[in-house]
Amino acid sequence: MLPILVSSLIFLGAIGLILTERMDRAIVSFAGAALMVAAGLALGFYDEEQAVASIDFETLGLILGMMILVALLRPTGFFEYLAAAAAGQSRGNPVLLLILLGGGTTVVSMFLDNVTTVVLIAPVTILVSEILGISPVPLLMAEALLADTGGVATLIGDPPNVLISSAAGLSFNDFLSHALPVVVVAWTAALLLLLRLFRVELSRRPSDPGALAKLRPLDALHDRTTAVRVLIVLGLAIAFFFLQDAVGVKSSFIALAAASLALVWIRPPMVKTLETIEWSVLIFFGGLFVMVGGLVASGALTLVGNLTARLASAQPVVAALAVMWFVALLSALIDNVPVTVAMIPIIREMGLVSAVAAPLWWALAFGAGFGGNGTIIGSTANVVVADASRRTREPITSRIWSRRGLPVMILTLVVASLALILFFPHFQGS
Amino acid sequence: MQISDVMKREVISIDQGASLGQALDMLTRHRIGVLPIIDRDGKLVGALRLRSILELVLPAFVDLVENYDFVEDFGAWERSAIGEERRRAPVADLMDPPLSVTADSGLLRAHAFMRQHDLHDLPVVDDEGRLIGLASWVDVGIAFLESRGRDTGR
Repeated sequence: MLPILVSSLIFLGAIGLILTERMDRAIVSFAGAALMVAAGLALGFYDEEQAVASIDFETLGLILGMMILVALLRPTGFFEYLAAAAAGQSRGNPVLLLILLGGGTTVVSMFLDNVTTVVLIAPVTILVSEILGISPVPLLMAEALLADTGGVATLIGDPPNVLISSAAGLSFNDFLSHALPVVVVAWTAALLLLLRLFRVELSRRPSDPGALAKLRPLDALHDRTTAVRVLIVLGLAIAFFFLQDAVGVKSSFIALAAASLALVWIRPPMVKTLETIEWSVLIFFGGLFVMVGGLVASGALTLVGNLTARLASAQPVVAALAVMWFVALLSALIDNVPVTVAMIPIIREMGLVSAVAAPLWWALAFGAGFGGNGTIIGSTANVVVADASRRTREPITSRIWSRRGLPVMILTLVVASLALILFFPHFQGS
Repeated sequence: MQISDVMKREVISIDQGASLGQALDMLTRHRIGVLPIIDRDGKLVGALRLRSILELVLPAFVDLVENYDFVEDFGAWERSAIGEERRRAPVADLMDPPLSVTADSGLLRAHAFMRQHDLHDLPVVDDEGRLIGLASWVDVGIAFLESRGRDTGR
């Protein structure tokens, strides 16, 4: 009983500390991992080998590979080009601008890291709305909300999906056949809701509607050769993701092989390229894996899994809905990555007890993905656009966010709930 | 040669009690880039730079985007103006610290000082800190080159 108590205290303490934001989450996770191993050694429930074995290198490899591709694409100006081109197409119509920027951000973030995409597109969005003379708030919020919603559609679209695919053995095509249809409906519903929620802001006439006609998007793309090379490699990687089931290779291998191909082809200054990789994210993930490994070893998660499994096997649909809404609420309040990492062993335990795990993985993916939309701190993309807006005359506050983001979160979750209820047998098979 | 040999002695300055609007009128009327601000005794208390005023109307995105090569003009921002409320505020709200040199400063010393503080015009004060002149970067640089040219030509 003592190992269960101690390991739970260490994990919950770390999550609490991350929530207070008084210490960098990567530091908390790193130190928490060390503490978990120390406690495990002292009480005899967890050792160094178990700690290393609990690290999900499949997830880390996939994320690292995609990060290298993004690091190569980032300095070419491709993201800025895309935002400027989308803006130019809108002819200064705010509604069209929101659809084009939100849609463009979504498509990019289905295949590349949401956060980098938003980090680079948000400043151009602010520029575009400022020279047009309209409020940047609807555009920025739409980008973050739609990118986070769209990211749920693919295996590489957001970190929880990477974690879930690795744990549950789901392929790229599994996501296309299960998550994508739900996301298409949820995304469209979210877009329509945003257009309605922002109807006042969007109906104001731009003070300089002709300003965007003078944009020259190609001038933003200052390294076309490199951009084209990265995009070709990325296209190849995506083709391999499609063929993954037939070829039988792991997602992490595809991503790392693509990254190595791009590096050989482009031969960038390596030290500089590696500087833009967010190592702190990888450390954060690694620490979480080790901490949750301790929770598994102590039996804490088996306990939770056994309790919930009994309920789940009696009412599988209710269990899936409960998991999704519970995870969504947690993901709105804290980072969805620790939530997902902690839920994975619980669902795995439940799967051992009964055959209900398959729909629960999808419930976890939808909950973690859509839940982050509800609050300003719900996802990193939200934090990024809110931070960028602080430099403008209309900073996005927590209140402004919740009034628009919370309805979007609830609507997308309702869509996912209906999908789970109506097509439950589909989610039972993969 | 020292700074007092090259400085302008007729300096347009403004009292620290004046409003920003009055200061803007003086800057535009005299087409100058800096307006020294003095107190009742003529002591230099600060300077209003054209650059600080333009910062007020500069959009925040210029610091956010990594490049704005693809934008030809800033659209709605090109027509932004300094608000009435802002114009009524005291000029002291927007002034820079009273960076200056004394009359006996050497020309290269003055140049180094302007370079250090990114100044284009340099107020000159007496021992009591009263404003007695203003030298532009061009005044200082050209005077230096001329004096050296004379020396080496001899």
